[in-house]
Amino acid sequence: MSSYGAVLPTAARSILSSCRSALREKSIAPAFSVYQQVRGAKNNPQAKGKGKKETKPDRRGPREFRQKNLKDMEQYTLCDAMRYLRAVEVGREPTASKYEVHIRLRTRRDGPVIRNMIRFPHAVQTESRICVICPPGSKQAKEALAAGAVLVGEDDVFEAVKAGKIEFDRCLAHPDSLPALNKAALGRILGPRGLMPSVKTGTVVEDVASRVEMLRGGTVYRERDAVIRLPIGQLGFSPEQLRDNLRTTIEQIKKDASALNDRVNKEIYEVVLSSTHGPGFSLNGEFKTDDSPATSALTGL
Amino acid sequence: MVNLFKRMRKLKTILDIRAGTGAAIFPSTASATKEFPPVTRLHLTYARKIYGGHQGARHFWRSCLPRLKYHNPGVRMTVQQTDDQDTPPALTIYFAERLSSTASAIVGAKKITDKHAPAPASGEQTAVVDLKDLSYKEIWSRVQASTGAEEIPASAEDEAERKRLEAITAKAGKDRERIQGMRQAKKDQERMLAEARGEVEKLKQL
Repeated sequence: MSSYGAVLPTAARSILSSCRSALREKSIAPAFSVYQQVRGAKNNPQAKGKGKKETKPDRRGPREFRQKNLKDMEQYTLCDAMRYLRAVEVGREPTASKYEVHIRLRTRRDGPVIRNMIRFPHAVQTESRICVICPPGSKQAKEALAAGAVLVGEDDVFEAVKAGKIEFDRCLAHPDSLPALNKAALGRILGPRGLMPSVKTGTVVEDVASRVEMLRGGTVYRERDAVIRLPIGQLGFSPEQLRDNLRTTIEQIKKDASALNDRVNKEIYEVVLSSTHGPGFSLNGEFKTDDSPATSALTGL
Repeated sequence: MVNLFKRMRKLKTILDIRAGTGAAIFPSTASATKEFPPVTRLHLTYARKIYGGHQGARHFWRSCLPRLKYHNPGVRMTVQQTDDQDTPPALTIYFAERLSSTASAIVGAKKITDKHAPAPASGEQTAVVDLKDLSYKEIWSRVQASTGAEEIPASAEDEAERKRLEAITAKAGKDRERIQGMRQAKKDQERMLAEARGEVEKLKQL
């Protein structure tokens, strides 16, 4: 063999050697190699199934929040639920205890969430102190003060906040003061408390005064994990008052849901009434049964 | 989300306020008799810690008052917690118009006053019961005797429900023991194996 190689030029030699190697391989085990190829080929259904499972694990859960069928759930009328809650709350600080409502939605895991503010026919919080950040002495400042804001100003507010004196529950800002606000770097102090004004939460507005008006009797709510939770009444409310508040809330949430994108479908799935120290009672939408006590007995502290 | 059955189980456990000690109806204006005038209000004062016989009063609040409130939603009930361990805990019962005939006997000769109790409205009479060193069941029997409250027995469904829940609790205890035994056996086995391996390592080093 080497004699051939010595005679032939290098190019020809390489061609020959490649031919030879191919030939030899085939001659040694032609049938075996072909068989192997068939077994390793992609048309083996068993192997195919295995490979697919390994490459594409279904990491994402269900697209929607899983909501169970409520047929096993015992549901209560509003008056009955109130009767139980008032019994559980007996002897508690009357001002501290409140009725809460948890509105559970049937919705997708991703996508927009409901986030809004509501003004009840019967106010839940007695007083909410509002701070407005806008240039002092401006027209907006005067209007905000007239509307009931507690603290109005720019630099003096920033100083107070930096000194740790936060004597307000809500904070609004006028767009004109936004640069000053950002410069003061209060995000670290106000941010964790949820007080930092931002356009996204709707707390940076032109018409400060009307917003203050709205906030004073208003409650902010948002959807978290397909549930909207919000306080809905003081413990001393009568069932009628609570019903009015509940009705307003549900109507507004339905409106919010329909105001979202057309493709997003949200619907109310369960309404649960609870209180500060009490358990949650699933409501069945009725006002009272024949066994319920008189509504006057469920009023007051 | 929470499993519905878990949720219901928890709710049912809480809802034992329908029956039990203190599930009774006070005489109202409709059902009042000469002996027992209607009860309009209750007020309980006790101290934060149990020293000085304040334990029963707190238990009374925890176990009896919710049941009373459930069956008498119209009767106002307030509780005042103080830091004063030395003054005895007291329950003030407010009767409309006059005291019941048994109230003065229950209150006894030693009259105490409760400065935290709200002042009685016009036409209301109060009886202050000294609760020092009484258990909540004793307190309840006194309250019942002095007001003539009518006990409400558990309904058949409530009784069945209670039995069912009790059976579940008993089964849970048994299951817990069984599972703990299994886990312990597995742990023992693993520890034994680890020890054996350690001995082999030691032998190798020698």
